Amino acid sequence: MLIAENVRKVYRVKERKGWFRQQWTEVEAVADLSFRMVPGKIIGLLGINGAGKTTTIKMCSTLLTPTSGTITVDGYDAVKDDRFVKAKVNMIAGGERMLYWRLTGRENLQYFGSLYGLQGQALHNRIDSLLLQVGLYEAANTPVERYSKGMKQRLQIARGLINDPRYLFLDEPTLGLDAPIARQLRKHVSELAAQHGKAILLTSHYIHEVEELCDEVYIIDKGRLVAHDTPEHLTKSLHLDTALQVVIPSLSDSLDYDLRQLVLDYGGSREIAETDEQTWEVTLRGKTDMTTPLLSLLAAHQSPVLRLSTQQPSLEDVILHMADRRGA
Amino acid sequence: MFHVAKATFIRNTRVMIRAYPWSFVIGHIFSGVYTVLFAFFAYHYVFAGQLDGNFVHLTGSSDYLSYAILGGAFYAFAVSTLMNVSRSLITELREGTLEAVLLTPSMRRGYFLGNVAQQLMRTLFEFSVIVLVGALFGLTLSHTNVWSAVLVWILSTGAFFCQALVLGSLMLYFRDTYITQNTLFAVMAFVSGVTFPIPYLPEWLQPLGLIMPLAPALDAFRQCVIQGAPLHAVLPQLFHMAALSLIYLVIGVWGIRRMEKRVMESIFG
Amino acid sequence: MKQLGSLLLAEIIKEHRHSFHSKMIYFSLLVWPVINFVTAYYSFAPFRMGADSPLARFISYEQLPLFLLTGYLGYIFYWCLVQSSWQMSFERQAGTMEMIFISPVNRLAFLYGRSLSSLIEGVWLFFCFVLLALFFVDGIQLSGWWAPPLAFLILLVSAIVWGGFLCVLFLFSRDSSFLYTVLDEPMLIFSGVRLPPMAFPVWAKVISFCFPLTYALQLIRALLMEGASLQTMLPSMGLLAAVLLVLVTATVVLLKLAEKHMKKTGNMVMY
Repeated sequence: MLIAENVRKVYRVKERKGWFRQQWTEVEAVADLSFRMVPGKIIGLLGINGAGKTTTIKMCSTLLTPTSGTITVDGYDAVKDDRFVKAKVNMIAGGERMLYWRLTGRENLQYFGSLYGLQGQALHNRIDSLLLQVGLYEAANTPVERYSKGMKQRLQIARGLINDPRYLFLDEPTLGLDAPIARQLRKHVSELAAQHGKAILLTSHYIHEVEELCDEVYIIDKGRLVAHDTPEHLTKSLHLDTALQVVIPSLSDSLDYDLRQLVLDYGGSREIAETDEQTWEVTLRGKTDMTTPLLSLLAAHQSPVLRLSTQQPSLEDVILHMADRRGA
Repeated sequence: MFHVAKATFIRNTRVMIRAYPWSFVIGHIFSGVYTVLFAFFAYHYVFAGQLDGNFVHLTGSSDYLSYAILGGAFYAFAVSTLMNVSRSLITELREGTLEAVLLTPSMRRGYFLGNVAQQLMRTLFEFSVIVLVGALFGLTLSHTNVWSAVLVWILSTGAFFCQALVLGSLMLYFRDTYITQNTLFAVMAFVSGVTFPIPYLPEWLQPLGLIMPLAPALDAFRQCVIQGAPLHAVLPQLFHMAALSLIYLVIGVWGIRRMEKRVMESIFG
Repeated sequence: MKQLGSLLLAEIIKEHRHSFHSKMIYFSLLVWPVINFVTAYYSFAPFRMGADSPLARFISYEQLPLFLLTGYLGYIFYWCLVQSSWQMSFERQAGTMEMIFISPVNRLAFLYGRSLSSLIEGVWLFFCFVLLALFFVDGIQLSGWWAPPLAFLILLVSAIVWGGFLCVLFLFSRDSSFLYTVLDEPMLIFSGVRLPPMAFPVWAKVISFCFPLTYALQLIRALLMEGASLQTMLPSMGLLAAVLLVLVTATVVLLKLAEKHMKKTGNMVMY
C-alpha cells in the first residue's frame, strides 16, 4: 500500500526585483494532503485551482522531496529508501516527453529496462509482451520520431510498465490524444487495475475520464484536499439538480399553468423556450425526479412528446459547483 | 552499475549513428587544426623561426611547433570531453527525458561512465586527426614515449570527466550551455599554457592555471611526447591532476545531485 | 517602401530588446573577445620580440597591441553578424521566417536591415574601442579627424553585406552550426585578425582575400595605425567594393533560387 500522510510541498520561487535585488517567495503547491493507494484500485486526483496534482505525483515517484509529511510505499520511505521505492513505482505523463526520439520503440524499452536492472532474456521477453500489449509490435523497430502521437503515448505506457510497477501514476495520460485513442487508453488503464492488480493514481483535465475510471476521487483546491469520496457519492452528496427536458409542439395557457404548479409542488424551477422549429422546449430542474408526474400531466393535456431527456448531475457539475462556491 | 554504463553506452552509440553530431566533431577538429595553422604561420612566416630566449628555459625544448600543436590538440580534446559529458544531463532535460531517467533506481555513476566511455571514441578520433595534421605541419613524434603518453591521455580523460561534472551542474544551474561552456573554454585557453608557457602570464593570473586540470595534463603530455619522458618523471603533474580530479569529483557529485532536485522542482514550479 | 521601413524598425526594436538586456551580448561581445584578445597577445610571448625581430617586417613591436585590438574589433563586428544570422536559422525552425516570405517587403532589404539591427550593439563597442586605444595603447596614428568615422563606416557597410550573405546561407542550409564552425574560425586566422596576411604564403593569401574582413582590416589599420592618405588607400577601397559587390550578387542569386525552391517544394532547406 502507498500511504501519503500530511504531505506538504512548498516551492521557493526567486523573483527579480531590479538589477541586483531579488526576493524569495514561497508557494505552497500541496498542503497537508493524505491519501492511500490500494492494489487493484484507481484513484483520481482532480484540481479546482492551481497546481498540486503533478507535484503530488512527482513526490510519490521520488522525483521531488516533500517539504514535510511522509510517503511510504510498502513500508519503504520515499525519501530515505528511494531506490527501493523507485523499483516499485512508475509514472506515465501525457504529451510526447520521456522518450528518446532517435531510438526505436524497442531500443527505448531496452534502455529503460536496463536502468531498472533487467537484462538478457528476461528483458527481451518483457519487452515483447509489452509491445504486444500496447499494440506496437509491428512498429517496434521504427524510430520514435516517426511515430504518431497515439503510438508515442502507447510506448510511454510500455515504458511505464517496464519494471512491472505495483504503483502507477498517470499524469494527464490522454492529453492531446484523439477521442478513439483516448478511449482505447482508458480501457487499457482499467484493465491494468482490474486484471493486473495495479494501484493507479490518475490526474486528468477530462473529468468524465476520472468519473469513468476512478473508484475514488480526491478533489484538491490550491493544494488542499476539499473532498474525497467515490464519484457517485460526490455527486449525490451535493444534492445537485437533475434536469428534465421535454419538447412539445404547442404550449397552451392551461398547460403552462399546470407546469408551474408541478414545479411549485416539487420545489424546482422551470425554463420554457420556443425553438426555431416552432416547438417548445421545457426544462424542469429539481432535486427529485419529475418524469412521471410530468408525463401524466402531458397525457392529461393530450400533448404529444417530441423528445424527452433527463440529465443526472455529473462529476463535472460537482467541480463547477465547487469552483463557483470557492470563487474560482 | 556496469550494466547501466553498458546500456547508456549502447544507447548513445545508437543515437550517434542515427544522428551523427558532425557539427561538434568538425568544430573540435577545426579549432585544433586552426591552432596548428596559427602556430605554423606565426613560427615560419611571421617570426622566421626565432624564439624568445626564455622559451627553451621554460619548456625544456626549442621545438615550438610541437609545443603549440600538442597544445592545440590537447585543448580540443579537453573541450570535447568536457562538452560531451557536461551536456548529457541538460540535453536530457531539454529533450524531456530527464524525468524518465531519474525515475529509475539506476546509479548515476553508471550513467556517466557509459557516457564518458562512449564519447571516448569520438574524442580519440578528433585527437588523432588533429595530431595527424599537426605531423604534417611540424609536430615531431620521434622521441615520444608512447606508453607514458597514452597513459597520461587516459588519466586526463578522467580528470576532464571530473571537471565536466562541475560544469554540468553549472549548466543545470544557469539552464544554459552556450555561455557557460564558452566562458570556461576561453579562460582555459588563456591560463592553461595552451599556446604559451604559463610563466609568461602576470604572476597574479598564474594561480588560475593551477585549478585547471588541463595545465598539468598538458605539461605531462608534452614532456612524454616531445622529450620522451618516462611516467615517473611526470609524477608531480599526475599528482596535481589527481588532486584536482578528486576535488572536482566531490564538488561535481554534490552539485549534480543538488541540481537534479532543483531542476525537478522548477520544471513545472 | 513605407511598409519596409516600419518592418525594419520593428525588427531593430525587437532585436534590441531581445539581445541588449540578455547576458549573451555581454559575454559574446565583451567577455570572450577580451579574453581571446589577451590570449592572442600572450601567444606571441614565445617569440623573439624587439625592434630587430622578424615581426618588425610587418608590424612594429610597439604597435602589436593596437594591431591585435583593431583585428579583434573588426572580428567582433563580423562575429556579431555570424551569431545573429545563426540565430536566424533557429527562427526558421520556429516558423517565424515564413512571415517574411508572405509579406510583400523586399527580401534583400529585409536581410540587410536585420544585419544592421544586430550591429546596433556594435556602435557602443566601437566608441569604447576608440577611447581605449587613444588613452592606453601606443602607436595610434590617425589619418585625420575623419579617420575613425570612416573606419567605422567601412566596418559597418562591409559587415552588413557579409551578414546578409550569411543570413541567406544559414537560412537555407540543413546544418547551420556546421557552416558556423567552418566560416567562423578561418576568418579568425586568415583575415589578419591575429597575424598580418602579408606574411602568408601565396596559397594562404588566396584564402585571405576571399574574406571581406581582410580588406576592411587593411583599410582600418591604414587609417588608424599608419595615417595613410586617401589616395594611397583608393586601390584597397576599390578592391573591398568589388568583393562586396560579388557578395551582394551572390546573396541576390541565392535568395531568388531559394524562393523558387521553396515555392516548388514547400521546404526552405536547399542544401
